[in-house]
Amino acid sequence: MSGSLVENLINELSRLPGIGRKTAQRLSFFIIGMPGEEAISMANAIIKIKEKARFCKNCFNITEDEVCSICRDPGRDRSKICVVEEPSNLIVIENARIFRGLYHVLLGSLSPIDGITPERLKINELTKRVKEDNVSEVIIATNPNTKGETTAQYISQLLKPLGVKITRIAYGLPIGGDIEFADEVTISKALEGRNEM
Amino acid sequence: MLTGTEGIVLKTQKYGDADLIVTYLTSDRGIINAFAKSPRKTRSRFGSSLEPLTHARISLWGKEQSLPRITQADIINSFRQIRDNFQDFINASKLVEMLISLIPEGIPNKRLFAFFLNILNFIKSSGQETKEALHLIAQIRLLTAIGYAPRLKGCGKCGTRSLDFYPDSGTTLCGKCASLPLAKGKPFIRINNKVIHFYTHSIEWPINISNRLKPNPETLTELSGLLDKHLTYLLSKKLRSSEFLAATTRPRPRPF
Repeated sequence: MSGSLVENLINELSRLPGIGRKTAQRLSFFIIGMPGEEAISMANAIIKIKEKARFCKNCFNITEDEVCSICRDPGRDRSKICVVEEPSNLIVIENARIFRGLYHVLLGSLSPIDGITPERLKINELTKRVKEDNVSEVIIATNPNTKGETTAQYISQLLKPLGVKITRIAYGLPIGGDIEFADEVTISKALEGRNEM
Repeated sequence: MLTGTEGIVLKTQKYGDADLIVTYLTSDRGIINAFAKSPRKTRSRFGSSLEPLTHARISLWGKEQSLPRITQADIINSFRQIRDNFQDFINASKLVEMLISLIPEGIPNKRLFAFFLNILNFIKSSGQETKEALHLIAQIRLLTAIGYAPRLKGCGKCGTRSLDFYPDSGTTLCGKCASLPLAKGKPFIRINNKVIHFYTHSIEWPINISNRLKPNPETLTELSGLLDKHLTYLLSKKLRSSEFLAATTRPRPRPF
């Protein structure tokens, strides 16, 4: 009985990304050794997030309410929208504490070969927001890879006729890295996007 | 075992937290899949070398039969000009999807590798004014190179002149041959001489002078539709990139 319970927990944990069977086994025994209330609190957190988490009706960030805390915040600059691929990208930008505008989460990126067309992302909803909410700037912060770039180009073509300023986050070298390890595309993009000092 | 080869990235697939499975068209092993550890991290040593269409010198660790690990990828030609152009990239994706769908994995074909590289160089260096025709020429020539091109020059059975293309047969058929039991009642597409003329020259002319072909937009639309139907029949499904192209070039709502 206890063997099957442990086995079941290992199986469930090994479904998580980046968790192999061995790690799942280690985590399972850690959970078994945890005080009862801590383990139950952890289990409840998973249950609650599955019951209550949903997408914000404006920006598609994850929230418990109809509208997320960022969209509700009156101190935010409503004329700027930062477009990201996933809610996890939004958290990273938010943690930088430099952007005080609103967000729009696309919930993916365009990919011709995988058949991810604009209809499958929240692009129409973005166009609607730009048209209706008096937006002056859209900052496209999709990933700096081919899918992210294709998405950025499509959005840019779509929104340009609306007369809104469209900007793309800068490309270049990561801080703390050495130029000697950078590849030719990263270096070219970094040089193209150089700033006057 | 550590081995080295040249490859063109056809596509990548996310795996785990920050890993990728990369599909390459290689010069000496055909289409292969390889595993890359953590290329999605910002400080990854792979940089942009695993982006689609990149031509790179790669080092692989592991057996050929299993999923080898990419230990190094040095860019020979990034082809970023193609990726940076929305239309070029979607059309190149169509070529990639054709390759992945029609060519079995692990069969070496040095000529195909050189040919695909040549096509990418040609797309990269061509001017925008001839791009639409060029993308179609690239598709036709790729289908010809891998042996799946439709036959439009005369009836596929008897050689008589014909303008009716039968996707089920992959060829044009004359009235007499079309009435035979295998083709009878099957759907066909009526094409015109301009389509045949452009198609034939696309195959026969050297690719570096094919920009002299100046088809009208109707010819391009007609031939593009024919190729899509031909591919749909071959693969028993529509190409995803064709559907993507249709979805992104549809007329958009006018601004308010």
